[in-house]
Order: sequence, then structure tokens, then C-alpha cells
Amino acid sequence: MLGVLLMVVPLVGAVAIALSPSRAAKGIALVATLAGLGIAILAAIDFSDWGTGGWGLEYNLPLLPAMGISLALGADSVSMLLMLLTTLLMPLAILGSWTAVSDRLREYYGWLLLLSTAMIGVFLARDLLVFYICFEFTLVPMYFLIAIYGSTNRAWASLKFFIYTFLGSLFALAGFLYVAWANAEHAGAWSFAIPDLVHFASTGLTTGEQGWILLALMAGFAVKIPLFPVHTWLPLAHTEAPTAGSVLLAGVLLKLGTYGLFRFVLPMVPAAVVEWAPFMGVLAIIGILYAALICWVQTDVKKLVAYSSVSHLGFCVLGLLALNPLGLQGSVLYMINHGLSTGALFFLIGMMYERYHTRDMGTIGGLGSKMPVWSFFMVFFVLASVGLPGLNGFVSEFLCLLGTFAAGGTGAYPGVLGPWFAAAAALGMVFAAMYLLLMVGKIVFGSLREPSGVHSDLPADLNAREILVLVPLAIGCVVLGVQPDFVMHAIEGSIADTLASYPTAVTDATEILVGRGGMP
Amino acid sequence: MTPILTFIPKLSMSAPAVPVSDAIISPNLSWAGLILLLPLVSLVLCGLCAAMRVKSKLPAVITAASLAGAFVTSVFLYLNYEPPGEVIPLLDWMNLTWGEGRFESFTANFSLYIDSLSLLWIMFVTGLGTLITIYASEYMEPDLGKGYSRFFAGVSVFLFAMAALVLSDNLLMLYLGWEGVGFASYWLIGYYFERPAAVAAAKKAFIVNRIGDLGLALAIYLIWTTFGTVQYDELSTIFAAGSMNPEFEGWTTSAIPFLLMLAAFGKSAQLPLYVWLPDAMEGPTPVSALIHAATMVTAGIYLIARTYQFFLLEPVSLHVIAWVGGLTALLAATIGMAQHDIKRIMAYSTVSQLGYMFLGLGVLTTYGAAYHVFTHAFFKALLFLTCGAIMHGFAGQLDLRKISGLRHMKGWRITAWTMLIGCLALAGFPLTSGFFSKDAILAEAFVTQGPGFEILGWMAIFTAGLTAYYTFRVWFRVCAGPASFEPGDEQHDDHGGAFHPHAPRFAINMVLVLLAVGSLVAAVPYFMSNQADDRLVGGWVADMVHDSPARGGIPGFSETHAVHAIADSHEAAAHAGEAAHPTLFGMDPHAAMYWISGTVGIVGLLLAAWLHLWRRSAADAIKAWLYSQFWIAWLPRAMERKWYVDEFYHAVIRAPLWILGHIFYVFDRFIIDGVCVDGIARIPRGVARWLQPLQAGAVQSLAVVMAGGAAIILLLMALFMQFGWFGGQV
Repeated sequence: MLGVLLMVVPLVGAVAIALSPSRAAKGIALVATLAGLGIAILAAIDFSDWGTGGWGLEYNLPLLPAMGISLALGADSVSMLLMLLTTLLMPLAILGSWTAVSDRLREYYGWLLLLSTAMIGVFLARDLLVFYICFEFTLVPMYFLIAIYGSTNRAWASLKFFIYTFLGSLFALAGFLYVAWANAEHAGAWSFAIPDLVHFASTGLTTGEQGWILLALMAGFAVKIPLFPVHTWLPLAHTEAPTAGSVLLAGVLLKLGTYGLFRFVLPMVPAAVVEWAPFMGVLAIIGILYAALICWVQTDVKKLVAYSSVSHLGFCVLGLLALNPLGLQGSVLYMINHGLSTGALFFLIGMMYERYHTRDMGTIGGLGSKMPVWSFFMVFFVLASVGLPGLNGFVSEFLCLLGTFAAGGTGAYPGVLGPWFAAAAALGMVFAAMYLLLMVGKIVFGSLREPSGVHSDLPADLNAREILVLVPLAIGCVVLGVQPDFVMHAIEGSIADTLASYPTAVTDATEILVGRGGMP
Repeated sequence: MTPILTFIPKLSMSAPAVPVSDAIISPNLSWAGLILLLPLVSLVLCGLCAAMRVKSKLPAVITAASLAGAFVTSVFLYLNYEPPGEVIPLLDWMNLTWGEGRFESFTANFSLYIDSLSLLWIMFVTGLGTLITIYASEYMEPDLGKGYSRFFAGVSVFLFAMAALVLSDNLLMLYLGWEGVGFASYWLIGYYFERPAAVAAAKKAFIVNRIGDLGLALAIYLIWTTFGTVQYDELSTIFAAGSMNPEFEGWTTSAIPFLLMLAAFGKSAQLPLYVWLPDAMEGPTPVSALIHAATMVTAGIYLIARTYQFFLLEPVSLHVIAWVGGLTALLAATIGMAQHDIKRIMAYSTVSQLGYMFLGLGVLTTYGAAYHVFTHAFFKALLFLTCGAIMHGFAGQLDLRKISGLRHMKGWRITAWTMLIGCLALAGFPLTSGFFSKDAILAEAFVTQGPGFEILGWMAIFTAGLTAYYTFRVWFRVCAGPASFEPGDEQHDDHGGAFHPHAPRFAINMVLVLLAVGSLVAAVPYFMSNQADDRLVGGWVADMVHDSPARGGIPGFSETHAVHAIADSHEAAAHAGEAAHPTLFGMDPHAAMYWISGTVGIVGLLLAAWLHLWRRSAADAIKAWLYSQFWIAWLPRAMERKWYVDEFYHAVIRAPLWILGHIFYVFDRFIIDGVCVDGIARIPRGVARWLQPLQAGAVQSLAVVMAGGAAIILLLMALFMQFGWFGGQV
């Protein structure tokens, strides 16, 4: 029941906001999201399958038994973690918007709460249609958040965001429906239960079919991640979105794509993944380096951080494609860590924007002397993002790259990437230092530059509410940097399950190649 | 061609299984964790001081006390130490296991590996850290209540990271320390963050170091995929047993040392990555002394000494190290000769001396390299701190043409005479500590066989002469001669009147004297008899290198261990049969070197005395003449402009990348997004206008896209079901 409650509480909050006066909106939203966080923590404590790969929070309400459709919820450790990340970011996003949004408050907080329901739904879904509906429904609140509360170019940005990701996921739907149909043909009855479909797809489909499914699913997930070259909606949407929108976009929505890869693509179509991993790996590496260099020449801070997400998520995808526990561990940790550190960077940029109404590094800079507390957090989260050991970003980046590097070997989990992929991607570490330090060098250090004639009711440096938003994220960064072990042990079982069919899939593919004389 | 290090065979798989070190796990020594914990405590307290805007010297007191505590702990650890080595587990970090085999787990914890090599390093790091903190408590006075806490917090971070680097029991924790010291360096170089030059220098240091870090990261990946572990004790056991992953034998074992080398060259400022160190002088001087002279920059030497077994597997890597070190030493010395900023001269001198240390590593004397690290730490820290005292007293003046005769000025005598001691040691004046440690390296260049090592040896001797010259150029200009000065531009105009230099007070003078004594006493370990093994030469420092993986590079030493063949043949080539023993002027190279390098040092010193004390006008005349002769003018100009290396990097790496970034950005906006994405997006829009020419609004086109998309999907579905598409593709 806790799973249902997690999805229902924000819904109730949204309804309550709709029924109450607009000055109560943010209070209700905060209470609802805090309640959500409380329930999530309870659920995490109650969850007994940390480390084993089992499922908890299970709930099943048949909706259309004839078609095998039901409202099935459940979480394994990976879903649990991402759900915790979501419920942590939600109250922070609301606190972060406290003074930034002043009109149409009811709609704003209502959409945020609906977004929360949809995001949690994605992570908890155990039925393919529930997953897909939630996955698509995240677009609607985000569309309105950008279109109504965004900056100057918001109409175009929101439209592009919507259409682009929507079109992509239509292909994913086609892929899913094909699997469901093939399963129905095979089993004689329709089912949309994810475990059934995953099991069927990985064993009952030919390699050719798997290839097409992979293509369809990747059309949906790659846009969401976003993988080069289908990433161009992201810088635009991020730059135009209000702060809370950017935070949730970077913190959670991008992870829907990598989560899709983890939950569906990898276990469903192993043979095709083995075949296509090198190609997708190359795309990820191009994304890492290409986006990093683009970051380096930006003048708009927010666009810089937005492009940095494209670069960072490349590491995450690479870790998944390593097809070994090291890479997957790194990748799942990366999802969490990127949510914490990049989410925080967007908060910080929002706080600066609220005071100066500019994001242009040409007109603003040297805030270190004027906003020491803000600067402290800025430097801190930049370091987390740059992958300084001791903070969270390092652990995940290191494991992703080590996994990729080791994927050429022949241990228990042979892979299809290898040292060259890791070496090329590792250049991204140097580039990340280049653009992120350029950013802090301009906006934090140097002599003070401020746009003139800007008025804000906020104090010069951060107030207690803003510090309260950042502190939980900073604590998360330190804890996951120093003690990642407990998370890694918690997700071991789920990762082993996801990788279950890989050793054979890779060996088979290699044997075929050897048989053809394609590999020495 | 001379036989090129042919005495180093490839590690044979059947080598006798006698491990280099049977490290004992000693959880009862966990108090050693204080060395890491104390700087962290100090960091937190300094952070609190900053938050509470403390205006006293409290942060300095806290930091000095905790670093002193760390030093005392290190000494206790040394007194409790028993060879061959101990592992002290502290805290778990990363432990992954997914199977039984060696390549099916990854372990990297916060635990300490104590052997004599790490003890040697940690003792001088914490000891010097304490002294320099005491110095800085006075030096940073003008910033009391402003950046004072931030400065000492940075020093604490540095000491923590350096201790982690030196004491770690695995390569990943070493990496943490490695990046951590780089970050501390970034923090402290950029301490004056309102000064653009400082911010740029900090950024440059971090990024150039990151290139080195990339090498270290790749080396760690390669080591794990080859050996299945990143822990030193397990690696030693594997080396002893010779049981590598046979699949990776070949290119990986050859590539590992080169990647480690890249890391070491970045951190220790060697060609081609030395460019960040001279710029790093933008930081406060105590930082230059502590981080950029005595401790952090020696991390590269530590790394190579620690992983020396990998280098012994690939002789070419040692040749490269020797040559890079020798060339860096020469190049940096020539640049140092032509600079006017005394702190920059010291910075180039540091690069040059680090070059000597790498030369030592390359010519198979890890002991010589470690001994030079040890002596250099004292005399170079001393020299930097005297420069700092001058800078502090003369309002930032560092130009050696604008201060003269310091030893005649009231209150500056201690500074002048301690600086002389530092200069003598740096110049390798006979019987100073620098003389013995440099000779240990120089002589070995003539003993060890390698490609052109003899040329390298003569080059290093020539560089020693240059070193003596530029060192005493500073001393004779600044400390000797008639007393005169011009203040720098950092005047605090609080008294409005004429500028009075303020001479150093107790804290600075005390530290200068202690370091001067240290620079002299650092010669004593050379004469201490060896405890660890009677066949060792070179005193206490050789003892300290002996119980570590670096012992494969101790001259004249051999013992049955994993790489025994190497040491044996080294001995055969170097010290067995007299016929094979190279000689220099008919003497043992070590004995000959005392005479040669002593003479060269004194010649350099006399040359400096002539040009910069007795006939200062002659120096100017020579310089003017050099610049007027077109056939040679390029040389001093290139030396003064640092051989245009920065310009080269800008043109070859930075500018192309910058242009590429812009090209990518334009490509991203106009080709990928503009032509491809928007082009496709225009198709449904066009359809929408054609179908429904009522309103071309957002919602309409959205609806059309959704409807169109759904139609396509339904069509596809129908086709699936009708024909069972894709089914027969394999």
C-alpha cells in the first residue's frame, strides 16, 4: 500500500491546491511533498530486499483482466533509490521556488505535484502500460511549467521539448506493444506485466526481432537521456525552464531514460544490446566530448550546466553498456549523484538569477566577495560534479569508466566495449575540469561585476531557506562520496538480475563472430 | 649501441615465490589514523572560524597544533614500525564482489600501508607542514579576519590529502590524495581570488594536473584489469609469484609505467607538463614553500618509487624517465638563469631539482631520488620562506634588481644568512646536504648502463654548474652588495609616510633558523650506518627505501625477492667484477663525483660572484651584448620567455580546442537542431497548415503530431499482427 500512497499523496495535494486559495498553495505543496518524503523513507526502512534483488512495495489491482492490464506497482532496490531521490528533490524544488514564482501559484504547485506522481509512477510501475502512461504523463506538467513560468523563449522551448520526447516515446510504445503482442501469440493470453514481458523478450525473440525492439526503445529512451545526436531539446528546455523545472528535469526526468535502459533495454533484448553496444558506446563518447567542448564556449551559465548534463549522462550510458557489475554499479550511482550535484547547481544558478536577473557570465562575476555562502556551495557542487574524489561524482564516474575499461576482458562478465572506449571517455574528465573551473573562475572568482539597476527583495547572500535547500544535497554528496558502499551493496542483487543473461549473450555473439572469422 | 639496460629481463613466470613484503594487517595500530584525522578536524574548525568570522590567530594555532600532532603520530609510528610493512584498516570505501575469482571483486578502502618509504615521506611532510604553518601564522597577518581562516583550512585540506596520498594502501586512495592535493593547490594558488592572475594560475594548475590524473586513472584501470587488484600488498604478492593475467601480458605491462609516468610528470612538473608550477607562484609564499617546493611536487617521485616494480618490467620507461628528468633539469635551469623575480627563479629551480630526482629514478637509484627529495624539502622550503620574508617586508617586491645588501639591513640578518645556507645546499657546495644527495644521483648516471646515460650524466653536471650560478645570482644580488631597496606595489598606505620595510619577527625567524639547521643536518643521514642490511650504502635514507617496492632501485643492493634477477644483474653490471664496473677518470664514479660536482659548483658560485657582486656592471654589459648579437640574441630571449612553451600549448592545444568548441556549438544549433530537428518538425506543421488552415498555433500542431504519431503506430501494429514482421530476419 505504501507504493500507492506514494503516488496518491501528491495527487491529493494537487487536488487540495485546486480547491484552496492561491496563498495556501505553496504550503500545501510543501506539506504534501514532505509527507511523500516521509513515506518514502518509511518504505525504504520497511523494504527488506536491499541487496537481494527482490521486490517490495508490491500492489496489484487488475484493471482489464482480458488484456492482462493491471495497476501493478513494486520496487526493487534501484527503483527504491531513484524514488528516494525524487521524493527528496520534490520538497527542495518547492522550497527553492518559494519566492521565485509569484503568479498563477496554484497551477504551478499543482503541476509540480502531478509531475511528482508521474515520476514516482515510472519508478514503481510493474505493468508496462502503467510505466508508459506515467512516462508520457511527465511531459504534460513539465510542458506547462516551462511554457508558463519559463523565460523569454519559453513557448518554443516547451513545444520542442514536448514534441521531441513525445515522438521518441511513440516509437518506444510501438516496441513495447510488439513485445506484448508477440508474448500474447506465444502464451495465448495478453499480459502487460513487466516481468513476463522481459522474460519472454529475452528468451523468445530472435536476434533480428530484438534489434528492431532495441531500435524502437532507444528511440524513446535516447531522446530522454539525452544521447547524442538527439539531445538538442535539452539545452533549450533547461535554459528556459524555471529553476524547479530545471532541477527536476536534470535530477529526475533525464534518469527516466537511463532507468528505461536499465529496466527494459538491457534485460529485454540482450542479444541486440551486445550487437549494438559498441555503436551506442561511440555515441555516448561523442556526447561526452562534444558536449563538454560546447560547455566550454558558453556564456550563459545555465546553458553551460545544461550541456554538461549531456556530457555527464554519456558516462552513465557507457557504464550501462559495459555490461558488467562495475559499470552498472557506477551507472546507477551516477543517476543518483548527477541528480544531487547537477540539481544543486541549477538551484544555485536559480538563486543567482533571482537576485540579478541574468545568467550571462559576461555581465556577472566575482561573486565570491559578495556572496561567500553561495560561493562556497557553488564551488562545492562544482567539485562534486567535476569528480573530485571524496565526493560522490568520483565514485560513479570511476566505476563507469573502470567497468567500461574492463569490458574487454573475459571475467565472469565479458563485455563488448574495452580500454579504448574508456580511454576516450576519460578525456571527458579533463574537459569537465576545463569548463566547470572556467565557470567558477568567472562567476565566483575575480573582481566583482554586477549588472546595474537590479533590485531584489532577497538579502545579498543566501537566506536560511536557501541554505536549507542546499544542505541536504551537500550532505548527500559527502555521504555518497565517502561511504558509497552501502548503496553499492544495496543494489548488487538488482544489478545481477539485470545482467543475468549477459555472460551467455556476449559469449554467443563472440562465438558467432569467431565462427565468421570476424574476430581473431 | 651500448647494451641498453639488457640486465632487466622480463618478469619470468617461474620466479621463486618469495614476496617482497608480507604485510601484516595491524588493526591495533589504528591510532595512526590520527595523521589523517587531525588535519580534517583542523579543516572543520577552521571552517567554523571562517563562519564565525574569527579575527584572531586562532585558525593558525589550531592548524599548527593538529599538524604537530600528526607529526608526533608519524614519529611514533616510525618508532613502532617493524619491517616489512603493515596494513592498518580504517574505514571501508568501495567493496564490490560479484564472484569468487580474482577479477570478480574490486576493493579500495581507506586503510594505511606503512612501510619505510611511506614513513620517510609522512615524517618530512607533517614536520615541514607544522613549521610552515607557524611561519604562515605571521606571514598571513594582513589577512586576519578576512581570508585567514580560509588559508589555514586550505593548508589542512592539503595535509589531509598529502597524508592520504602517502599512507594509502591502494592506488584508489592514492588517487584521492593525488586529486586532493591538486584541489588544495587550486584552493591556495587561487587564495587571492580577486586577482585575475591568481585565478588563472589556479585553474591552469588544476587542469594541467588533471591531464596527469587522467594518466593515473587509466593506469589504475589497467592495473586492475591486468592484476585484479589495486592494493599494494596484493600487488607485491602477485609480483612475487609472477602470476599475472596471461591474457594481458604484453602491451598492458608495458603501458602501465608510461601512464604512471604521465601522472608523475603532471604532479611533479616535468616536461611537458611543468608549465603550471611557475605560475603557481601567484599563491601566498608559504604555500609555494610547502606545496610547490617541499611536499606536493615530490608526489610524482613517491608514486614512481611506490610502483617501481612496474617500471622494472619495462626498461624503456626508465630510460624515458631519466631523459625527461635530465632535460627538464637543464631547461628549467636555463629559464631560471634569465628570470628577475626571485620567487620564479626558485620555482624554476624546483622544476630543475625535480628533474634531478626523476633522473635518479631513471638511472636506478630510487635511494638517490628519495634522498634528494628529503634534502631538497628542507633547503627549498627554506629558500622560499626567505623569499617570502623579503616579499612580506618589502611590500611584495621580488625583483632581484631592486633589492640589494639585505645582510647589512637591521633585522634582516637572519633572513640573509639562512638564505645563504639554503643557497649553498641548493648549489651543491661541498659537504652540504644537497652536495651528497645530488652526487648520489649524478654518480649513478655513470654507473648504470642505458642509452646515452653518460651524456645525460655530463649534462646533469653542467646543469649543476648552472644551478650554482643562478642560486648565487640571487644571493649576491639580494643579500650582498650595497644596501638599497625599492618597495613593491602592495603598500598598505595606513601611515601615509615613507615606506619602511618591516623585518620578520619571531615566528618567521624561528622557522627560518630551524629550517637552516634542518638543511645542514640533512647531510647527517648520509653518514649513518645502515641498519636494514649491511650491503646497503647511503645511510638512513637508503634504509628507508629498502623495505619498500622501490628497493629494486637501490644501487649495489641485491636480495632474493620477486625481481631478484633485476637486482642481481644490476649488481653484476654495476658492482660485481671490477672489469664491468664503469669508472670516471680512473676513479669510482661516486668518488670522482665529489670532485667534479664540487668543482662545478664552486665555478658557478664564483661566476655569480663576479657578475653579481664584484662587477655588477659586467653582467649588464654581457647581457646587452648578448641581446645585440643577432646570431645569439635568440638564446637569452628564449630563456627569458621560458622557451615559448606556454605559447606553444596555447597555439597547439588550447586554441584549436576553443575553435572546435565554437564549431561544435554552431553545428549543434544550426545543423543538428536547426536543419535536422526543426526540419523534421516542419513536416507535421506543414501538414497541419494544409489540413487545418485555421490557426497555426502550438496546440494545433501538437495535436496533429499526436494524432499522426498514433496513426503511424496503429498502422505498424496492424502490420505486425498481419504479417508477423521481423520474425524471419535471422
